Amino acid sequence: MSEVSPPRIVARRGGDPPLARSKPLVTQDVEALWDPCERLWQIAIAPSRWRLTSQSCQTLDGLRLGSLWGEDTGRSMLRVHAVWLPSGPGSGLHLVTELPTDSPRLSTLLPDVPAALYFEREISEMFGIEFVSSPDPRPLLLHMSHDFPPLRKRTAPSRPSGERKTYEFPPVEGEGVYEVPVGPVHAGIIEPGHFRFQVVGEEILSLEVRLGYTHKGTEKLFEGRTPVSSVPLAESVSGDTPIAGAFAYSTAVESALDLQVDAATQAARGLLLEIERVAFLLGDIAGIALDVGYAAGAARANALRQIAYDALEAATGARTGRGVLTIGGLLRPLDRALGPILTPRMGTIGKGTTSLLEHLLTQPSVFDRIHGTGTVPLNVARALQLVGPVARASGLDRDVRSDMPYGPYVGRVVHVPHEQSADVEARLRVKAAEVIEGCRLVLEFLADGATEAPAAPPLVSGGLDERHGLGLVESPRGEYLTWVSIAPDGRLARVHVREPSFLNWPAIEYAVKGNIVPDFPLCNKSLNLSYSGFDR
Amino acid sequence: MSGNPGKDASPVAQVPEEMGILGKVLTMSYPLGRSTVRSSSARTPIHNPLLCTGSGECGKVCPTNAIQVEGSGAGAHFELDYGKCIFCRRCVDVCPSGALTATTDFELSTLSRKDLVVAHVSGRPVAARDPELAKSVKLKVHHLFAGSLAIREIDAGSCGGCELEVGALTWPEYDLERLGIHFVASPRHADALLVTGGVTVNMRLALEKTYRATAGPKFVIAVGACGISGGPFRGSPEVGGGVDSTLPVEVYIPGCPPRPEALLYGLWMALGKVEQRLWNGELPPVAKRSD
Repeated sequence: MSEVSPPRIVARRGGDPPLARSKPLVTQDVEALWDPCERLWQIAIAPSRWRLTSQSCQTLDGLRLGSLWGEDTGRSMLRVHAVWLPSGPGSGLHLVTELPTDSPRLSTLLPDVPAALYFEREISEMFGIEFVSSPDPRPLLLHMSHDFPPLRKRTAPSRPSGERKTYEFPPVEGEGVYEVPVGPVHAGIIEPGHFRFQVVGEEILSLEVRLGYTHKGTEKLFEGRTPVSSVPLAESVSGDTPIAGAFAYSTAVESALDLQVDAATQAARGLLLEIERVAFLLGDIAGIALDVGYAAGAARANALRQIAYDALEAATGARTGRGVLTIGGLLRPLDRALGPILTPRMGTIGKGTTSLLEHLLTQPSVFDRIHGTGTVPLNVARALQLVGPVARASGLDRDVRSDMPYGPYVGRVVHVPHEQSADVEARLRVKAAEVIEGCRLVLEFLADGATEAPAAPPLVSGGLDERHGLGLVESPRGEYLTWVSIAPDGRLARVHVREPSFLNWPAIEYAVKGNIVPDFPLCNKSLNLSYSGFDR
Repeated sequence: MSGNPGKDASPVAQVPEEMGILGKVLTMSYPLGRSTVRSSSARTPIHNPLLCTGSGECGKVCPTNAIQVEGSGAGAHFELDYGKCIFCRRCVDVCPSGALTATTDFELSTLSRKDLVVAHVSGRPVAARDPELAKSVKLKVHHLFAGSLAIREIDAGSCGGCELEVGALTWPEYDLERLGIHFVASPRHADALLVTGGVTVNMRLALEKTYRATAGPKFVIAVGACGISGGPFRGSPEVGGGVDSTLPVEVYIPGCPPRPEALLYGLWMALGKVEQRLWNGELPPVAKRSD
């Protein structure tokens, strides 16, 4: 810790925040302004105060690191953004600091902010910013060297060379210790990533995950495009939750351009997001059953999951719900006669999930495998700032839908389940409860006129000043954050997408510790992290 | 093939309370019987050259540049590539003349890349079908694996959407194994590699190694807009232009992602059980198949 004490945070109004969330925050010597586009307090700070201010955010009760990203302003200035979000109901902070493009340096937030590790490694390779005295300066997503940092703005894009960067796994030594390398090509129908296990006998001493195999340069692809034409790209950040991706992205653009979305459209989006949640989480339940070798349970969960995807197809014409959301609302209205299709299906899924959970928990061969397996203790979950069902199974009661209600969830009661035991069993229970709550919410949105939503009017943008906006959506995996910056010509200048898996991936390295190697797939499936969402 | 508008005859509307063999069979009869895709799920753009006025609106809104229109009026050159199409229906929404309509056709798999491209000039197809190519692929693949097929799935940089639908083939509704096709855990056990994703720079080596580790005879199936052309990520320096820039590809299954029935059709066609329906981007006008 530094000898200088961190700035004390005192209350002062700096704008016009909504009364319900007026938690004005200002340090003694920096002013915070309420940003209605982001629903956050904006604080510009000098690079020299970056570390101290972040430390005080970390120690401040009720704030957690939401995301950390870089931006090339194109005016010989780089920016580093940090969003600190409330860990319960409340409002958050957006810290921004500016660095020169020539040899930019910033002090690392490690080890005080453990969740900053992956973010700093990514900013370092994508913008060429050095994080001074970082304990782990290894690359994260880029396996090849590039001619210049890819997210820097130059006339031509940065290209990967054929030269592979060196990457070293920390060695573990001792009698009987051996390594098990797994991947990037895995045995199941899943995405690619490399796992390096260090094992004694059957017990896992440590695991390090290396990702980046599906890195597609997605954030760079957004730049220079119009907001509307990039919706399919937002859907493809993590293609198993396209609705959440498009929802978060649309919300960010809408708040940047100050577009209002009517109540029926919000209800329609909520309805689609909840069906996606139901379908997705049933897949997790199926995966857990399958990975303990209980194929009958998996088949049952997948049968229910098919009903959910069928419902999504009935609502949108597309099984996975792609090509429906757009900026300002829906690309095309939902089927008006959706009620008679959705009501019995949601009823079947709700009942089916209740009985399936009870069935799984009473099978000794299932219960024995999931009880006490893959524990992510509360202190680890809190230090890593985990989100979504994984965090809720470790006792952290956080959910954007109730903490920072947006769009369809404003003024709506969402019953967010949480458990304390932090193991695979807890995650199974939380996910099953969320499926049942999702079914209830689908019917609630239906009753609130989701099918009345019209198609969105065409978006005319451009000729404005520089705009930026933030979208926060509770996806099936947890809090999904998208930040956009729009240039005066109406085109996207920078898009940052932080899929929940980016925060949750480190959890697996803790979950498997002390478990046996054959339980790794089970731990992995119970967390169900997105590789593509992480790599982008 | 066509939907059953109005009536909710989907077998998944209710799952019986009993588990296992006491419950109702949920598995569809497709590809042996007919599929039931709702008419509201029409997503495949079909171009009618006789109605096309060459406005070019479709090409402007296409998010993946799957549509190219050159010239204007009745003599315009129109090209639609199902290998790039993400089936989002934006082109159909803006077509001023009704030349582009959406249908429920999903049997779009082909044995050659060029069959995925429809090209019309002045209301006529540019090229005629080439049956010789299909015959040669038939000889190579069909009788070797006709009774059973072991597939190793490889994600070479997809978004995870194709994995969702490929994985769905093992759900009760689709149950791939009833057709003698199954997914295996190692390339050593595989007859075919089913590859998704546009082949990222970071996955190319792993993909090549996996192909080399697969014993012959073997063939490669490219799945999804990314696997065929790079899809929404086409143009990124981090992504190649599809699997066939790295490996020889025998079967192309378009979609973003392809629905499970489309995957079933592609695999069934690869085994020579059904004919390829899409030739030079043209589907037969009436969907009729001997079951």
